[in-house]
Amino acid sequence: MESNWAAEHLQVIRTLMERAALYRRALAPIMIFNGVVGLAAATLGWGMQIGSPRGFILFWAGVGVVAVTGSFLLVRRQALKESEPFWSPPTRRVTQALLPPLVAGLLISAVLFLRCGSGPLYAVSNPALLWLPLSWVVLYGCAFHAAGFFMPRGMRLFGWAFIIGGCAIFAAGAAYGVTGLGCAHGIMGFFFGGLHLAYGVYLYLTEHRGNHA
Amino acid sequence: MNPEPFLQLDRVIHEKGRLAIMSMLAASPELSFTELRDTLGMTDGNVTTHIRTLQEAGYLSVTKSFQNNRPLTTCALTVAGKRAFTHYINLLERIIQQNKPK
Repeated sequence: MESNWAAEHLQVIRTLMERAALYRRALAPIMIFNGVVGLAAATLGWGMQIGSPRGFILFWAGVGVVAVTGSFLLVRRQALKESEPFWSPPTRRVTQALLPPLVAGLLISAVLFLRCGSGPLYAVSNPALLWLPLSWVVLYGCAFHAAGFFMPRGMRLFGWAFIIGGCAIFAAGAAYGVTGLGCAHGIMGFFFGGLHLAYGVYLYLTEHRGNHA
Repeated sequence: MNPEPFLQLDRVIHEKGRLAIMSMLAASPELSFTELRDTLGMTDGNVTTHIRTLQEAGYLSVTKSFQNNRPLTTCALTVAGKRAFTHYINLLERIIQQNKPK
């Protein structure tokens, strides 16, 4: 009897300790913002025919800066509104989990940027240029899967969607020789725009339902 | 059955609300007042009372500061608090071990 009571107590303590380590900021506005930015950028990139490797890398690096800055401001606004520290321990843990794959993506891009010419993306014989958007997608998925250990609400599944989707498109692209400007911007738009937006809307709807419950 | 571990349980920590606060702070270097309140679903008054009790026992330190002109209250476990919490957990484990069928 007493043993059951002690075991239940320990279980409650364990649950509370896990909950304390979780990242608690509302993710829906951040995901929706990033989705809109991703879709707009893909349309813009495709419309402006940004097709040189350097142009492509620079363009999407700029989009990345906009997305990170916007996300940062949204998180900061939430923290201020709730009278909580911005750079809280869960935020630190999530950032640390996100960093290694994102840094890897940055380094790969920097190497390609330095080594590639300014010819059109689809005309360059180096297949690495087809891999680039997909490597960003897969690394981004790895980053979110790692951060998902400190975040609630299916973040790891979201990471897996990027990893599996990126690898599947890579396999299809390798098999059928899919290349081209529209394809590269399409991949970016689908993953960084569409998936973010879909996940953001899902979170928005379920968060509202959760609040009313 | 040896009742000793049960009798040694720290009364300050043993209360449900204070144990919840101690558990959360044990997993995080510091937490704000609002994080504790919202995660545990307690009222402002409840959290304040428990924090004061834990502070008086020397288990918890409270820091008051300002973030963008808004007051920010953060709590953290003291060394004595960490020790007391660890001791409390050890006692619970001893109770479980003691009652395990041999």
